Amino acid sequence: MNPELFRTLRSPYLWIGLVAVALLPLALPNYYLHIATLTLVYIALASSWNIVGGIAGQLSLAHSLFVGTGGMLASALLLKMGVNMWAGMAIAAAVSAALGAAIAWLDFRFRLGHLTFALITLAFAEMAEIVVIGWEFLGGASGLFLPKDTGQFTQFQFGGVQGSFWIMLTLAVIAIGVNLVVLNAPLGYYLRSIRDNENAAQAIGVGLLGNKIKAMVISAVLTSIIGTAYARYLTFADPYLLASPVLTIEIVLFATVGGLGRAFGPALGALLLVPLGEVLRGKLGGVLPGLHYFIYGATVIAVIMLSPRGLLPVLQSWFTGKSAKPANSAPAKSH
Amino acid sequence: MLHIEGVDAVYGPVTALSGVNMRIGKGELVGLLGANNAGKSSVMNVLSGIVPAAKGRVLFEGEDITRLPPKRRVELGIVQVPEGRMVFPQMSVRENLLLGGVNASAKPKRAQEIERVCELFPRLKERLAQPAGTLSGGEQQMLAIGRGLVAGARLLMLDEPSLGLSPLFVKYIFEIIDRLHKDGLTILLVEQNLNLTLRFANRCYVLERGEIVVEGTADQVRDDPRTRSAYLGL
Amino acid sequence: MDELFQALAQGLLIGSTYGLLALGMGLIYSVSGIVNFSHGDFVSLGMYLCFALFSALALDPYVSLAVTLPAMLIIGAVVCRYLIAPVAEAHSLMVVQLTLGISLALQNLILMVFGGQPHRVPSVVEAKLVMIGNVVMRMPHVVAFVASLALATALFIVLRSTDVGRAIRAVHQNARAAALMGIDVGRVKIGTFAVGIGLLAIAGALLAPGTPIMPSMGLRYTVITLLALVLGGMTNFLGIMVAGVIIGVSEAMGMIYLSDTLGMILPYAVFVLIVLFRPEGILGQSRG
Repeated sequence: MNPELFRTLRSPYLWIGLVAVALLPLALPNYYLHIATLTLVYIALASSWNIVGGIAGQLSLAHSLFVGTGGMLASALLLKMGVNMWAGMAIAAAVSAALGAAIAWLDFRFRLGHLTFALITLAFAEMAEIVVIGWEFLGGASGLFLPKDTGQFTQFQFGGVQGSFWIMLTLAVIAIGVNLVVLNAPLGYYLRSIRDNENAAQAIGVGLLGNKIKAMVISAVLTSIIGTAYARYLTFADPYLLASPVLTIEIVLFATVGGLGRAFGPALGALLLVPLGEVLRGKLGGVLPGLHYFIYGATVIAVIMLSPRGLLPVLQSWFTGKSAKPANSAPAKSH
Repeated sequence: MLHIEGVDAVYGPVTALSGVNMRIGKGELVGLLGANNAGKSSVMNVLSGIVPAAKGRVLFEGEDITRLPPKRRVELGIVQVPEGRMVFPQMSVRENLLLGGVNASAKPKRAQEIERVCELFPRLKERLAQPAGTLSGGEQQMLAIGRGLVAGARLLMLDEPSLGLSPLFVKYIFEIIDRLHKDGLTILLVEQNLNLTLRFANRCYVLERGEIVVEGTADQVRDDPRTRSAYLGL
Repeated sequence: MDELFQALAQGLLIGSTYGLLALGMGLIYSVSGIVNFSHGDFVSLGMYLCFALFSALALDPYVSLAVTLPAMLIIGAVVCRYLIAPVAEAHSLMVVQLTLGISLALQNLILMVFGGQPHRVPSVVEAKLVMIGNVVMRMPHVVAFVASLALATALFIVLRSTDVGRAIRAVHQNARAAALMGIDVGRVKIGTFAVGIGLLAIAGALLAPGTPIMPSMGLRYTVITLLALVLGGMTNFLGIMVAGVIIGVSEAMGMIYLSDTLGMILPYAVFVLIVLFRPEGILGQSRG
């Protein structure tokens, strides 16, 4: 394990920041707290995606499969079969893991290029949305309404806005934490070598199949769990949200804006764009529908043109010398 | 006709050429020799304009063409026949020749030039409709040279024309090159094949690791011990 | 039986336009290796421009092409020159995200300007019907069919028999050799991108009459185009046209004979199978 990890973990800024964020619910009014919670959800989702998309360099557009499974399947199991949502979450995570492993296997077995992998995962995502909407068990087109949140933790309930915030914070921290661990473990090196040059990596003995599956499974499980929590938070499992390819595109764009492959990159992207988007939607959504999405699109374009590695490196160069060594990410070669 | 003065060329952190000075007189056949990766192709690429000269100048008929884009250089008659032929495999022989003449200077005379090339290379004339990718190596070389002629080459630059060809074809190609030279064409020949080049060239340069180490008439270069050592990397 | 012929006719007509959409993408891909994920949103743009011109000047969509076509040719050239080409040069892996960003921005720009409710772009030919035997076909579809075939044919001819077409094929087959022939490779890339987008202006005008248009339909067209492109073999233009028709027909048939969900998944499933098991496409890779 790279000692870098421990240096990052010892950074006082990290812990002070974490504590400050954790105290937010005591200070913020509900509307802003909601936005903050939503931001945390996307931080968590984007960071989970990063393991496959950023570190391993595979542009998976299929992550809505995992969010959808986590959200819809767990909810369906609860509402239609009375399965406790914790168990439902675990089952959904297992299903997502299997789906993820299958996709990784396909990628390996058929030696899919960067582009074809993106296309195939997009096809899977589209199919998943259609299947979910057409399957009554999973709620069909109208989705599933979850029972009111009365704070019973054993029932996978978070107890209102504040409790939800802390749950999402935990998930976001876990997602980023997994990124940190992966980046500093041998797995991180293998994944990055695969990202930079698959053939060369294979030639020096890096196992393609095993590593790709590991990355995908870790990412899928995390994403699925977050999906379940997200559905719970909204008290409504909405297939057009959770199983939509657009969701994946959003998190890909957040990760890109922040900085692919870096532990804190996707978090930065989500942190910048989600609150901005929500506020815009709130204030101007009636007058100018779609403004926030337009801003997302325009931001991604601007970032790719001006700072293709994302905004995290820019931020870091502003703070060089001031803070502890920047968040973990070994120097990545070209993109 | 052509002067290269103090040219440096870089590919990222690698310096491919360093302080290269060359001249090619009108009507000369100049050989550019050297081992693999000595920088021979880089010289060609600088002349073609697809690699910029980091330092130095290139003068063609008195004009400074250092910053001229590749397209304009072809119009001036500086035509490269690249290493490996690079014919367009899915296009017919005829289409390849037509493509040779798309540049503005060559277009008006294209039909005649193609006729000329067909007379020069009867083998090609027989195969006009055939996809270029199905031709043998030697035939592809003929096509590549023919294409260069249709492009209106006044300085024809050949990059390793003998590469991968059977000895019979190599002999044939060099006879053609010699004939073109005797008809007045100025030729820059990059070759690893020392003997053949020395036989046909007026003057030669020897490159080693991006620098010119030997220059002179063919005989001078042949007798110079540094030539051998450049090739053997001593 | 009538139903079957109806479906086939419908599929053939629409499919030819899908083929045209895919040709646009195929042209761009074969020259620059770029897959534009905002392709469908440009189709949307074409349709909305027709709508705007109709609202402002009561122009029939076919007529407004006189404005929308040049406009989109220019837009295409500008987007390629200033956004896509620089990124493709320096960070080729980022092009996908770039075009996704463009897609999001374009789609929502349309949403902001025109609103989210469906609009109609009527045409004088909209109500007319063409009957062959018992098969009823709507005039806009017939027009789309004829126009798409004509354009595709024109494209083939240009590529085969003109210097411009040969230059494009040369850049596709070996960009370096093309540069050595004095072909301005950068200009060819930008030019083909512009033409690809221009084709979408035409496709937009062909598809608009009689269909309610919404800002979110861009993604659907992008996906259909991707299906046709891959099915057709990426660079085989004949294959791409055929693939477009196949998709049109299977879409029409799927609606009739399969349950909704299965019918909708079918194209994607076929897509995945083709990509995995026959990546060269139904007619094999490019024939130049």
